[in-house]
Amino acid sequence: MMEYKDYYKIMGLAREATQDDIKRSYRKLARKYHPDVSKEADAEAKFKELGEAYEVLKDPEKRAAYDQLGADWKAGQDFRPPPNWAEGFEFSGGGFTGGDSGAFSDFFEQLFGRAGFNAAGSTHRGGPTRGQDSHAKIHIDLEDSFLGATRGITLSAPEMDAQSHVQIKHRTLNIKIPKGIKEGQHIRLSGQGHPGEGGGKTGDLFLEIAFNKHPFYRVSDADIYLDLPVSPWEAALGTKIKVPTPEGSVDLKIPANSKQGSKLRLKGRGLPGQVPGDLYVVLQITLPSAETEKAKAAYQKLQQELDFNPRKSLGV
Amino acid sequence: MNSHELFLVHTGEVIEEGGLSLGQLCHACDVHAEWVISLVEESIIEPQGEAIQCWRFSGSSLGRVRAALRLQQDLGVNLAGIALALDLLEEIENLRLQIHIAERG
Repeated sequence: MMEYKDYYKIMGLAREATQDDIKRSYRKLARKYHPDVSKEADAEAKFKELGEAYEVLKDPEKRAAYDQLGADWKAGQDFRPPPNWAEGFEFSGGGFTGGDSGAFSDFFEQLFGRAGFNAAGSTHRGGPTRGQDSHAKIHIDLEDSFLGATRGITLSAPEMDAQSHVQIKHRTLNIKIPKGIKEGQHIRLSGQGHPGEGGGKTGDLFLEIAFNKHPFYRVSDADIYLDLPVSPWEAALGTKIKVPTPEGSVDLKIPANSKQGSKLRLKGRGLPGQVPGDLYVVLQITLPSAETEKAKAAYQKLQQELDFNPRKSLGV
Repeated sequence: MNSHELFLVHTGEVIEEGGLSLGQLCHACDVHAEWVISLVEESIIEPQGEAIQCWRFSGSSLGRVRAALRLQQDLGVNLAGIALALDLLEEIENLRLQIHIAERG
């Protein structure tokens, strides 16, 4: 099944929109949904959809052909192009004229063909050419960087078969995650990119590392932050308590008179490396609730015994 | 996929500070050297080394060059605009990280 795409709706335009309106709307929405700029969850999908809509509507020939389908179609409706629907139209660009041809929908392909994919490959002029490098982002756990790990990743890329049909090919690679790798660093895998032409070498694959969100550690470069709940008396009197680290728990000395939010540094307990990062333990003083008579009595005793005004600095 | 490939483990190489030459960076991002040089002139990326032949780029340059390319192609932003956008995006990213670190669990 192929779904009808309402390119005007995608661009937030009426069918009577001028070419200037289309350009303005594209610029505005492209800024809103650009994956580098936008933090909207579905930005990438929205941006691709927008690119496809603009590809058609910015080109008066394609737009006229699209308009010819009529205004009665609804977005998502099961769609089959009428026979000879594009008769009398010459797409001067031969189908694709630009954009990321791999990214367009079946609907687009059915209407405008996918000649562009061949055109992209036709720049080859004989002689060995090295294949293009490819890029992917992988998400790993903090522990993977700590201990080193092997992770299977699945990559998808459009590939052209002997009949010039484009298919999305999936492949799985087992990757060694080097110990101490940091967020934002890249790993290069030689010869895992796009195949070369005319006997040229295969390109490389670049993997950008990102960390999955950890339930209690937060990572900044090679340093790790951990919120550690402590009781008021542990903070006030000082003590020795067990704290978790990604390499197992360690004993930590809490100095007497520790303040809420104070940071204790465990040197070299961050991400491993030539210069290992540090682990910062951030004290979170946690109050027991005064639910029982016993707890209430204890708080009342503190109130009587201590002359404590937490708002002294406010002058009240 | 045969069983051999299933168990094959690929060991990559981490791109360290100054790990990429101009040629490698251009090939990795599929762009012309002239364009990368114009990015350097605009301080969008900052290589180590004086002469062009000695330029070495960090792994983070990869991300910046590719983002610059997308901003130019998709939004028609010029080099000065790209520099401004990437700097602001980086600042937002840092602020987000600070918020994340300061977040109470």
